Amino acid sequence: MVERLQPAPDCVELVMEFPDDEAPKPGQFYMLSTGDGRDTYLPRPLSFYRTFSPRRMSFLFRVVGPGTQALAALKPRDRLQAMGPLGRGFPVPDQPIRAVLVGGGVGVPPLWSLGRALLERGAKVTALIGARTRSGLLGQAELQALGLEVRTATDDGTRGHRGPVTELLPGLDADQVFACGPEPMLRAVQAFAASRPLPDTYLALEAAMACGYGVCLGCAVERAKPDPELGPYGTYARVCREGPVFRWDEVKF
Amino acid sequence: MEMATKLAGLSFKNPVLTASGTFGYGREAAELYDLATLGGVMVKGVSREPWSGNPPTRIARAPGGMLNAIGLQNPGLDHFLAVDLPFLRAYDTKVVVNVVGHDEEGFLAVVRGVDGQAGVAAIELNISCPNVADGLLFSQDPARAAQLVARVRLETSLPLIVKISPNVTDPVALGAACAEAGADALSAINTLLGMAIDVERRRPVIANRTGGLSGPAVKPVGLRIVYDLARSLAIPVIGMGGIESGRDALEYLMAGARAVAVGTAVFRDPLAPPRIIGELERELEAAGFASVAEAWAAANPQAKERVS
Repeated sequence: MVERLQPAPDCVELVMEFPDDEAPKPGQFYMLSTGDGRDTYLPRPLSFYRTFSPRRMSFLFRVVGPGTQALAALKPRDRLQAMGPLGRGFPVPDQPIRAVLVGGGVGVPPLWSLGRALLERGAKVTALIGARTRSGLLGQAELQALGLEVRTATDDGTRGHRGPVTELLPGLDADQVFACGPEPMLRAVQAFAASRPLPDTYLALEAAMACGYGVCLGCAVERAKPDPELGPYGTYARVCREGPVFRWDEVKF
Repeated sequence: MEMATKLAGLSFKNPVLTASGTFGYGREAAELYDLATLGGVMVKGVSREPWSGNPPTRIARAPGGMLNAIGLQNPGLDHFLAVDLPFLRAYDTKVVVNVVGHDEEGFLAVVRGVDGQAGVAAIELNISCPNVADGLLFSQDPARAAQLVARVRLETSLPLIVKISPNVTDPVALGAACAEAGADALSAINTLLGMAIDVERRRPVIANRTGGLSGPAVKPVGLRIVYDLARSLAIPVIGMGGIESGRDALEYLMAGARAVAVGTAVFRDPLAPPRIIGELERELEAAGFASVAEAWAAANPQAKERVS
């Protein structure tokens, strides 16, 4: 860990230096372990946020329990174990599309690298970020610094649109939508994708996870269209392995 | 260091196996290291038909471990035989097939299906999963467990291991009934039934409400049960529950386990099994043992007397 930033009262961004430079794809995640493993036995799955160099990237999270508290207590030069990059990230189209990114609360991190990758391919990218209140809006300046157009929404109307961030979607021309955030927000994105329709809409999911590499089967999410070949075994997909990014119509929650 | 160990007619190159339900069918770990490093692999439970497993949320954090209620999600016998077993067969390690069922017929169908298949070293009967409605059915009454074991015994000549639940008043009585009915070995322990509460949502964290506790927190319970089984019964025991290090593995061997299995530790450290094999070798030497066999039951004199 090389630097600790505090972008919101209950949120921390940790900048970390990795021993190798295996470049992650937007939407992929790492399992971070810290502490002595007593109160924080399981590693914590976190999407990477900003990348600064091949070996330097950051992680943004809300401090909610013992695991994130232990991470937030790290000091510069402290070492921790990180396993990754893991999972299936966002498919980044090569065409210069019109893309809309939707981030709710601490769902913003995977959108930063995705936004940058889309811009590099000539896409026109608008980011919509939402939170309960103004102080919970994350990543606005960082996304703007990439060159994205950013619009905001808060539940209490203290900044931007008053109401769910997904209410901004109908006013935009989009070829593809990419979203990460709480389940009600993702359900609203699913409904929007179905109504347009926008088949190439992708969602990055979060789930309770023990291993991160496919063996524990803890991070199950229901498949919308199970493979009949698999029978009941195909009811659930693994967020860590088949995801965390799914096409909007692949999953139900 | 002589790391080989024998139990129930099986020879393992070293006493470290991977525990059922924490390793799938080996595919994910095989991306990280050579499975031939392992003494053996105890695969994820296999049922007659594919099972979906429980709805999410399936896991919860716990001090010194975790709770899970996966619900034995598995692709079923046919898929196991067609896809998973051929994959594992390619590795020079002992494959133990963990068998699950809702009733006796379900168990028997899987046992018949794997009996005689190349690459299957042994069967582990899982009568101790706390996360499916009837998972503990056979554990809670030694007579029922014995009846199942006796029927399975007639269907296979493979070494038969029965996985013992810690969620019973008398694990030794359960183990004794299984031994009497023809089990060749016991594995202990499965997870301990537990619960976590979500304060904000005012409900249990896990959708199944209860889950199985595993990880370092359960090691003392596992050691106690392995010790008691080894002291009281003539059949060998495979010890498991909270093994994180070579030192933990040595403690289980000294309590009376002929071999050990590493489970939950692989979630935190996917390389835990090969690491523990290396650590165990050094721990054995440091403790003054020349072999795994010499360490066996070194802390359990009554178990040692039984075989002398």
